[in-house]
Amino acid sequence: MVKHLLLALSCAIATLFQLHSAQAAGKVALTGDVKVVRMVEQGGAEKETLSEPTKVVPGDKLVFTTRYSNDTGEEVDDFVITNPIPEQVTLTEEGDFTVSVDGGKSFGQLAALSTKASDGTVGAATLNDVTHIRWVLPKLKPGATGSVRFSAVIR
Amino acid sequence: MKKPSIRHLTSCTILAGSILLASTPATAAGVIAGTLIENTASASYTTGNTPKTIESNKVTIKIGEVLDVAVASLDSGAVAISDSNVLAFSVTNTGNGPEAFTLTADPAIAGNDFDAAVTSLAIDTNDNGIYDAGVDTLVINGGASASIDADATLKVFVLVSSPSGTGDGQSSQVKLIAAATTGTGTPGTTFPGAGTDGSDAVVGSSGATDFAQGKLVASVATVALVKSATVVDPFGGSQAVPGATIRYEIVATVSGSGSIGSLTITDAIPASTTYQAGTLKLGSTALTDAADSDAGSASEKGISVDTGTVAAGESRTVEFAVKVN
Repeated sequence: MVKHLLLALSCAIATLFQLHSAQAAGKVALTGDVKVVRMVEQGGAEKETLSEPTKVVPGDKLVFTTRYSNDTGEEVDDFVITNPIPEQVTLTEEGDFTVSVDGGKSFGQLAALSTKASDGTVGAATLNDVTHIRWVLPKLKPGATGSVRFSAVIR
Repeated sequence: MKKPSIRHLTSCTILAGSILLASTPATAAGVIAGTLIENTASASYTTGNTPKTIESNKVTIKIGEVLDVAVASLDSGAVAISDSNVLAFSVTNTGNGPEAFTLTADPAIAGNDFDAAVTSLAIDTNDNGIYDAGVDTLVINGGASASIDADATLKVFVLVSSPSGTGDGQSSQVKLIAAATTGTGTPGTTFPGAGTDGSDAVVGSSGATDFAQGKLVASVATVALVKSATVVDPFGGSQAVPGATIRYEIVATVSGSGSIGSLTITDAIPASTTYQAGTLKLGSTALTDAADSDAGSASEKGISVDTGTVAAGESRTVEFAVKVN
């Protein structure tokens, strides 16, 4: 009887310890956010500001931000963030990322990519064709944080 | 306004991107209202030699409903109206979500020669472009249409009647106004949560209301009667003395446009004269005096001739003779 109690107790302690150690070790995390670009009048001039995404309609420009952090206490290598572009939006401009126009199979600079139309003709890829974008960071040092962003217009 | 038409994007499945691209539920005004835009990023990395992947939280935006509408006249020109007629309009939902529209016909337009009366509005229920009484659903003036899908067009009829005293060729315009039931206003006006699937509704470039004007031209036929008499007296003269015969000629001339139906010419036999049996004629056709199958009848009291339907520009002549007592 006593033996069983002790066993149960030690199990509970072990569980608590594991939880605690996991928290202490931290993790690598991605946090997404989205804002809508609004023209707001400031001092008589229209200025682009990022607002909470309410009253969002086709034609509005969205800015998607993904924050990353490395709380593991260890260095992380070959950190690659991939973001599929939601089908309802079109990437508005290139940036510090490579793009894919084939559903994420291959990535490169947009100018180097081409698409095949349904009639078989091959043409230069446009922002409209981008399906995924990718950022490559060779290393994340312990405690490193940062963010990546892209903007897109609702179709 | 209604219809759950939410499309979720499977952002975590790499291949889904290109496949779904073709199925984006879009309207001319863009992605359909109520659609959820969902975005999830993922990352891969190695620690030591162990490859790992993580995903971000999913961020979601609901596409708002753009309130827009376009109204056009479907009549190729001015619609002729004698008593009543029908004007046809199209109401197109140019927004990105299903929306009902308040329909108001206004017959009092500045510059009108006359203002028609709006009897009712009707929806072209069987979509044949022609007003079918008893088939097409009547809507009171100022009532709302059923919900119209984005990009869909509803044909709307305005049933009008012309006021009395309208002159032939006078013109009039009738305006049909459609306004989103969710609300109207300057572009950008918002109605939080009032759009499709609880999305925000935003007034589009049309102001969420539009109108078009249909033209009417009055088609009024008028009839003029001219009566003349030719007297032949027993002495070879033309004095209306006892025994003289008076031949009356009544010419009915229809002018304006359209026609007059069952144009009946009647005349009383003047006092102190006697109708001469068998003298009644319509044009060159002799008519019997009896009230029978031919167009006229005559008695000692008077004559009556039904000249039928007479189109504008035509005339009918009735003749009969009396003798002075």
